Amino acid sequence: MLNRINAPELIIPGNLHITDAIVDKLSNGTPYITINSGTQEVIKIDLVFEAGSTYSTHPIIANTCNRLIEEGSGKFSSAEISEMLDQYGAYFVTEAGNEFATLSLYTTCKYILQTLPVLKTVLTEPTFASEEIETYKMQGKQQLAINLNKVDFLARRNFLNSIYGDNHPLGILSKMEDFDQLSKDVLLDFYHHNYRNKLRAVFVAGKLSSEHEIAIKSLIEDLKFNHSNSNNYSELNILNPKQTYINKKDSIQAAIRIGKKMFNRKHEDYYDFTILNTILGGYFGSRLMSNIREDKGFTYGIGSGLATDINDGYFFITTEVGANVANDALKEIYFEVERLQNEIVPEEELNLVKNYLFGSFQRSIDGVFALSDRHKTLHLNNLTSEHYLNYINRLKSITADDVRMCAQKHFEKSSFSEVVVGP
Amino acid sequence: MINFEKFELANGLKVIVHEDESTPLVAMNILYKVGARDEDPDQTGFAHLFEHLMFGGSINIPSYDEPLQKAGGENNAFTNNDFTNYYLTIPAANLETGFWLESDRMLSLAFTEKSLEVQRNVVIEEFRQRYLNQPYGDAWLKLRPLAYKVHPYQWATIGKEVAHIENASLQDVKNFFKKWYAPNNAILTLAGNCSVEKAKELCKKWFEPIPAVNLVDRNLPKEPIQTEMRRLEIKADVPSDQLYLAFHCCSRYDHDFYATDLLSDVLSRGKSSRLYQQLVKDKKLFTDIGAYMLGDLDDSLILIEGKISDGVSPKEAEDAVFDVIEELKKGISDKELEKIKNKAYSTLLFSEMSIANKALNLAYYEMLGDADLANQQEKIYNSIESSDILTIANTILTKENCSVLTYLSNHHA
Repeated sequence: MLNRINAPELIIPGNLHITDAIVDKLSNGTPYITINSGTQEVIKIDLVFEAGSTYSTHPIIANTCNRLIEEGSGKFSSAEISEMLDQYGAYFVTEAGNEFATLSLYTTCKYILQTLPVLKTVLTEPTFASEEIETYKMQGKQQLAINLNKVDFLARRNFLNSIYGDNHPLGILSKMEDFDQLSKDVLLDFYHHNYRNKLRAVFVAGKLSSEHEIAIKSLIEDLKFNHSNSNNYSELNILNPKQTYINKKDSIQAAIRIGKKMFNRKHEDYYDFTILNTILGGYFGSRLMSNIREDKGFTYGIGSGLATDINDGYFFITTEVGANVANDALKEIYFEVERLQNEIVPEEELNLVKNYLFGSFQRSIDGVFALSDRHKTLHLNNLTSEHYLNYINRLKSITADDVRMCAQKHFEKSSFSEVVVGP
Repeated sequence: MINFEKFELANGLKVIVHEDESTPLVAMNILYKVGARDEDPDQTGFAHLFEHLMFGGSINIPSYDEPLQKAGGENNAFTNNDFTNYYLTIPAANLETGFWLESDRMLSLAFTEKSLEVQRNVVIEEFRQRYLNQPYGDAWLKLRPLAYKVHPYQWATIGKEVAHIENASLQDVKNFFKKWYAPNNAILTLAGNCSVEKAKELCKKWFEPIPAVNLVDRNLPKEPIQTEMRRLEIKADVPSDQLYLAFHCCSRYDHDFYATDLLSDVLSRGKSSRLYQQLVKDKKLFTDIGAYMLGDLDDSLILIEGKISDGVSPKEAEDAVFDVIEELKKGISDKELEKIKNKAYSTLLFSEMSIANKALNLAYYEMLGDADLANQQEKIYNSIESSDILTIANTILTKENCSVLTYLSNHHA
């Protein structure tokens, strides 16, 4: 008779294998990092520039420059650029963060040689035509108006504002008038300073033939962009924690954000804090989920996380709960935060989280694009694979006492800012 | 191209294995052929509520998530109108834990009052978060009953109303399980570091002892042909106007699906597509617009939805959409056809990047009749001619076949 009561024997995870990337340099010194593997006939090329919002006078300039770089270049209109890529099933993805801005080309192997010239014109001769800027303004204003009606959007932006303040790119509260700063000249100026002169690194991933590899590399060499590895960061004044309540009338749920300024991957407590955060709110079985969703049914979801940049990071707890139970939910959140400071995590739970995180890391390197993204994180942070290997080692060695000490050090309630948006 | 082997257990469970030794993981996907269309009109939202209960402990195992996480695994699930899909990924060495957990909840659930009560609340909060407390969040709740008068697609997966979820009883839940959750109504796929032999051995051990059930025929009512345009205007506290046009079209099983899908691509796939270029970029009547086919297993819908630019009247915006449609009916160039086929091909490739997606794709196509359809999609799309697409456009993109939902913002007050 089959025993369905007892779990099959578990194999405790052993060592981790991370496929190496090939690290090369362009003639101007730009790091050029390749992962040649994968099961599908596809390729992704990421060009990373020091063109995030810290490099602009206002985040809207960095964000718009990044968004509009593909909307017309040289003799091609925006429509023609889209047409040339769509024709071959390829597409661009643009992303602007706090520090970096990225332009990525996703393409099939079959048509890469046809799509590379489009990448080149977009990178070297973007026009930022006034008409495109006007369309973008209309879209942006309408989207902002819609977002301002969402409780989670309001909670997020006010939370970041309370920890970063009005003058930091992450803390600025965007408003309709911001769009008035946008003009062709401003965008071209930003492009020249931060794209042509601040190429940080290039990442190529996929199933690459030698012909593809040569074509991609020579195209990027031909750009003749200057390489930069600067650090545009000045230490922030840490603002006093505060509690904010924003009234959103008729809302049937309240959005809650709680957290504080934290640190980046290079901090000595990074690994321990990652594990602590997982226990609190970083996975489905976390304490916040178990208590506030699975026991009380106050919410569809609750979680916590550590968002890291190259120089900085912040910790946050986020949820949307029934408006009538917002106070109860807050009480339970702080109860869980304090419990981690006062009580040792049971061995069983700690082991579960360790195994879960090990599997989770394996999942995060499944597929060639995912693997390339992990290498990108390492490289942009000036870290090596050691960073991940040390993390796996720390997963093995961390004790329940270490977790509690980390909580005592970083989970002091009085250090948290809190934002509630509700009726 | 996804290589696979397929076998069937004595109890009717179909199993598909895609072996990939390059990954240390295995993805396990179980698709149950039951969705919101199988619900009683007075008990909607049930298939989805039930999906939540599948995590509340099974007959021999008090918790589903804990042992899985302990084994380094992670899981999730989704429900739509046609099917309910559960998936997990786990380090290959602990694959048997996945078999143990999934087979036990296929055998039977714990069915506790506590689990039901909590998940009712969780689902009600999900209802509020995603549908009621978002600008335009209730669009589908309004659009479905406008487009469907008879067929159960007239309600959304989340349910018609919160009260239906509040009223769900433990007995209802048990009946639902007995009716639909059985090996002969499911498809199991494994993708990753697992050999076919290993899969057979584990399937035999854990799944084969589960008895099959007598499946009942669905006999769902067919939606009658729509003969005149339907309209619904909603005055809501939203910042700008939005327009939704829903046209009836064929089911996913029909060969016309492919031409219909390409038709929606001609309209809106990529920024170079007709709707976006003409109505957002050139005429600036919308700030965004898109079209897509739902691809349901019964007769389905093509949707066009757009955010109307401030200062443009909904009437002008709607007329402009129909102008684009009428122009399309005049012809599609060879180049445009090639473009949307290339798009379809690349979309397929990009959808198969992870083992989890490969496992889902194989299960989905097996539900349609044959897992190998996953590998035939490119060929089938390539066989479609522009005349096929035009025939579909002329048949379905008509005013008589259209349901129009308009949100009027507070500017109109």
